Amino acid sequence: MEHMGVEPGRLSFSWISSAESTKFVDVVKDVTATVKALGPNINFKKAADKVA
Amino acid sequence: MITFKLNGKTVQGEEGQYILQVAQKYGVEIPTLCHHKALEPAGMCRLCTVELFDGRRSRFVTSCNYPIWEGMEVKTDSEPVHQGRKLIVELLMARCPDVPILKELGKKYGITETRFKKEEDTCILCGLCTRICTKMGNSAISLTGRGVDMKVDTPFHIQTDVCMACGACASVCPTGHITLEKIRSSVTKNSFKLIPSEYDMGLKGRKPVYVPYAQAVPNTPVIDRSVCMHFKTGGCKVCTEFCGVNAIDHTMQDEVVELNVGSIILSPGYQPFDPSKFDSYGYSKHPNVITAMEMERILSASGPTAGHLVRPSDHKEPKKIAWFQCVGSRDMNKCDHAYCSSVCCMYAIKEAVIAKEHSGSDLDCAIFYMDMRTHGKDFERFYNTAKDKHGVRFIRSRVHTIEPVPGTDDLSIRYITESGESVVEKFDQIVLSVGMEISPEVVGMAKNLGIELTPGNFCKTTTFEPVATSRPGIYVCGAFQGPKDIPQSVIDSSAAASAAGEILAEARNTLTRAKEIIPETNVIGERPRIGVFVCRCGINIAGVVNVPSVAEYAATLPYVEYATDNLYSCSQDTQENMAQIIKREGLNRVVVAACTPKTHEPLFQETLTNAGLNKYLFEMANIRNHDSWVHKNNPDLATQKAKDLIRSAVYKVALTMPLAEAELQIKSSALVVGGGIAGMTAARSLSLQGYETHIVEKSSNLGGQARNLYRTAKGEDIQQQLDILIQDVNQDDKIHVHLNAELVQMDGFVGSFKSTLNSAGQEIVVEHGVAVLATGASAYQPTEYHYGEDSRIVTSLELDKKFMEKDSSLSSLQSAVFIQCVGSREPDRPYCSRVCCTHSIDNALALKEMNPGMNIYLLYRDIRTYGEREYLFKEAREKGIIFIRYSMDKKPEVSLSNGKLSVKIMDHILGTPLEIETDLITLATAIVPNRDEKLANFFKVPMNSDGFFVERHAKLGPSEFATDGVFLCGMAHYPKPIDESIVQGKAAASRAVTLLARKTIHTSGNVAEVVPATCSSCGVCVSICPYSAPSFVEETARFNPGKAQINPVLCKGCGLCVASCRSGAIRLKGFDNDQIFAQITALNEAM
Amino acid sequence: MSEREPKIVSFLCNWCSYGAADLAGVGRMEYPPNIRVIRIPCTGRMSPKFFLAALAQGADGVWVSG
Repeated sequence: MEHMGVEPGRLSFSWISSAESTKFVDVVKDVTATVKALGPNINFKKAADKVA
Repeated sequence: MITFKLNGKTVQGEEGQYILQVAQKYGVEIPTLCHHKALEPAGMCRLCTVELFDGRRSRFVTSCNYPIWEGMEVKTDSEPVHQGRKLIVELLMARCPDVPILKELGKKYGITETRFKKEEDTCILCGLCTRICTKMGNSAISLTGRGVDMKVDTPFHIQTDVCMACGACASVCPTGHITLEKIRSSVTKNSFKLIPSEYDMGLKGRKPVYVPYAQAVPNTPVIDRSVCMHFKTGGCKVCTEFCGVNAIDHTMQDEVVELNVGSIILSPGYQPFDPSKFDSYGYSKHPNVITAMEMERILSASGPTAGHLVRPSDHKEPKKIAWFQCVGSRDMNKCDHAYCSSVCCMYAIKEAVIAKEHSGSDLDCAIFYMDMRTHGKDFERFYNTAKDKHGVRFIRSRVHTIEPVPGTDDLSIRYITESGESVVEKFDQIVLSVGMEISPEVVGMAKNLGIELTPGNFCKTTTFEPVATSRPGIYVCGAFQGPKDIPQSVIDSSAAASAAGEILAEARNTLTRAKEIIPETNVIGERPRIGVFVCRCGINIAGVVNVPSVAEYAATLPYVEYATDNLYSCSQDTQENMAQIIKREGLNRVVVAACTPKTHEPLFQETLTNAGLNKYLFEMANIRNHDSWVHKNNPDLATQKAKDLIRSAVYKVALTMPLAEAELQIKSSALVVGGGIAGMTAARSLSLQGYETHIVEKSSNLGGQARNLYRTAKGEDIQQQLDILIQDVNQDDKIHVHLNAELVQMDGFVGSFKSTLNSAGQEIVVEHGVAVLATGASAYQPTEYHYGEDSRIVTSLELDKKFMEKDSSLSSLQSAVFIQCVGSREPDRPYCSRVCCTHSIDNALALKEMNPGMNIYLLYRDIRTYGEREYLFKEAREKGIIFIRYSMDKKPEVSLSNGKLSVKIMDHILGTPLEIETDLITLATAIVPNRDEKLANFFKVPMNSDGFFVERHAKLGPSEFATDGVFLCGMAHYPKPIDESIVQGKAAASRAVTLLARKTIHTSGNVAEVVPATCSSCGVCVSICPYSAPSFVEETARFNPGKAQINPVLCKGCGLCVASCRSGAIRLKGFDNDQIFAQITALNEAM
Repeated sequence: MSEREPKIVSFLCNWCSYGAADLAGVGRMEYPPNIRVIRIPCTGRMSPKFFLAALAQGADGVWVSG
């Protein structure tokens, strides 16, 4: 991903069982905070536009 | 048919019709103030004047009462007509300057101020009131006087009893001249009251013709004969004039229908206790003292205040609300109901939490209670959250009197705190948590049927046949069986159905009719025509998301032909309406933006099917669970999110295609895992209903935990009854018992499971259509209170064993102590084990029976003898058993020194520490689930954090799993006493039979499919699929030899093969690449 | 909006995280309104193409949860 100019932090994976609503909320908060900290996704989007 | 010209156009009307009627039919608007569809026209207001040309000359007539004739020419809005009307309005405005409807008309005709002398009347003498009064069959009022003295009045201007206070005159009065207040004060001698809406607990009125509530089934209006004017005077029948389909027949009579049935199930329910007899609470005096049922309506989105929390007296938002528990329960003083109603603690907490959600966290909620009874599944957690997170105050005190605060609508109460202080506190509103009561009608019905009742008037049942009444063939479920909540009622009802099914197994399917199959419209090749239905879900969605703007937005999306919003999309009337819209608008794709597809997709898909559309031409946007519920403090972003989700759903649904479903045979046999009471009951019920059943029991004998128990709360001998049940199971030809057996492998799916058992070293393969998990639970082995250090410290089960062995040492004990909540309601096991209070109290009573002189102490946190188990608690107190409460921070201390056993505890009444020397300490230990991860994995069923299995739905699906064909009963679900285990065993069987009896089912259409042309026969899909759905087509086959193929029956639609296919040759129907890409694009478009 | 709210495209497994998200709703738990959920039958359905497409089209983040 770095190779393509995307910050790896933009992609998150997690495993949550259907009973773990609290964990779900925690992960949402985490993911949102991480993405917020990275700021808008400009790098990859631009690159893609150029290719297109 | 009469033909004439209306504003130059040729129109037609029936002989005898008036101009106005025909004009309305053709959508030509003629103003009028005195016309009513159901009344003979009178031409009183003159506003409907039109110009008539009869061939020779023009003249002006009132259109409401001028009959049409062949060849006439009518102009409704010519300049002379307009001028004439303007003058009439101006004159009326002079007579009644303050009437809104006239001001409105004035504006329309460009009159700002009348030129005539103003009077101060409000009546325009249109005569609607007198005409409707005559229509009502009454003639209480008429137009009296002549000329300028003319007015509407009663004869001789006196109050009359001819007027029945029906209010029809007020309802038709166009100016507001006649008000209900005026009728009350100067017209009628009869009493005057609103018809209370039963659904809204009398907080709102309703009409004599009404639909009981929005979701009523059937959703047809009914006429309340006790208040309908027609049934009083023979007049009225106004409703028939408005009914377009002539559906109203006032001559219909009640019918007696005779049915021949093999079994009867009684589910008459309960009535909420009427607290008006408690004069010290002043329920009938103080408007702000309400019942919990009234509070439910106030909190409900469809309630009288649309969910806005206001108190009845002045519609002020309350700042402080108190709940009083046990009103009409656990009380012999005033209401004669010694039982506990079981549900009130939980509903009071729920109401307090919802009230805070509605009004904000600064709302002060206080619950006054005796014992907090949150013994249901996940209830204790809810209680803790209410206390710790929401800040609901819990005050252990029974309040005696409610006093009004003079000069205000507030209420004052005095109560004694736990530490003995007397406190006076003011509240804005007080909610009485009323209990359940069996109505006199139900008691009468029981008498007629000849069935026995309990002291509380509930239906008498035994522990081992908990849904059987005292009369064979008659079964009972719900609150009539005993006070209970929704999940327990649902379990009951399934069990009663099973009990009836057991005796009627032979008659099954002898009276069934085939469902009409609506032919599917072929939509292939059609351009998408998408309908979007946005649900308000009461205020659940609309309270946060701006639903109208979302629906408006949806209408602008590509291919969307129709978009609207519904109050409750899942209600039956909305469903029917949707089906009609789909047909009318010719829609071929549907999006419903509402709750979660996991619970509601099937319902809406059925609507599609009923409208002749393939059910896969559908998509849901989850704007409730994923949006309004979780972003309630952010309405703007929530609305934006709703639009995004709908856009994504619309883009996807446009690409959907009709899918076919595979038919699946259901093997008519069952596997029950667990040979305890619940498992055996389920097996027995399945066998009696004609299905082969296998019981897998890991130990060497049947019986489970019941083997360790002495007697039931009703005093029945458990071992004796258990032996009967075991014998029944063993002698049943259709039941195969596998002892010392374990499930080692499980393949297959609903309808055709294949389980491999290891039974005493032997491998057995069992094929079955359904499975019931009844794996039970076991007793917690305590580490606290010096357990294991002295033989006089025992668990409840060990004490039961002593009873069963008739241990003679028990009767010589001088003193015995019971300690409750050992391992339950603790931070690492935050649930109530439900059975221990009753169990300990019953054992204490058993000790008292042996030796009445024995000193018995029961140390508890809350006594939870719910339902009629409360009688035991009462009996125990009467027999001198001493109950001492302890709190979590001051637990009892057990000490052992010099052979002396003693317990130290803080006495909550005296406030002093107490030391009890004792000969026996019984620890009421928790019930601990088995946490069988392997089994959970085999059947792909979830477990909660406590280790109990998670049912499909906490309220509505308590005895089944979300996994198709797998059912649940007994203590694996939650701790429960024997009667409840038996009920759930039968309930699980009942749910299983609903599948087994169908013989075939249809699988999902969302399955993977191979495109043979691009398949490279690499075999990745064949090896990767967890369900063994893909295989190779035989090399010798005529078509596509060697290519992969997928069995749609086995395919679960997980998509693993799709993602792993190197050639991109597999498509997942319903989740195709282009559909997901469309969703991604849709979501990114707004960025 | 003073601060630009990032958008996160989320792929949730129907049986696991989607259920958890439903449950979070039932529990009225609040969380940031930035995620947009695409329901997939299983994370096995997930293909790298999906998240690359999402990022290429301007999503600020992608979250895949099973």
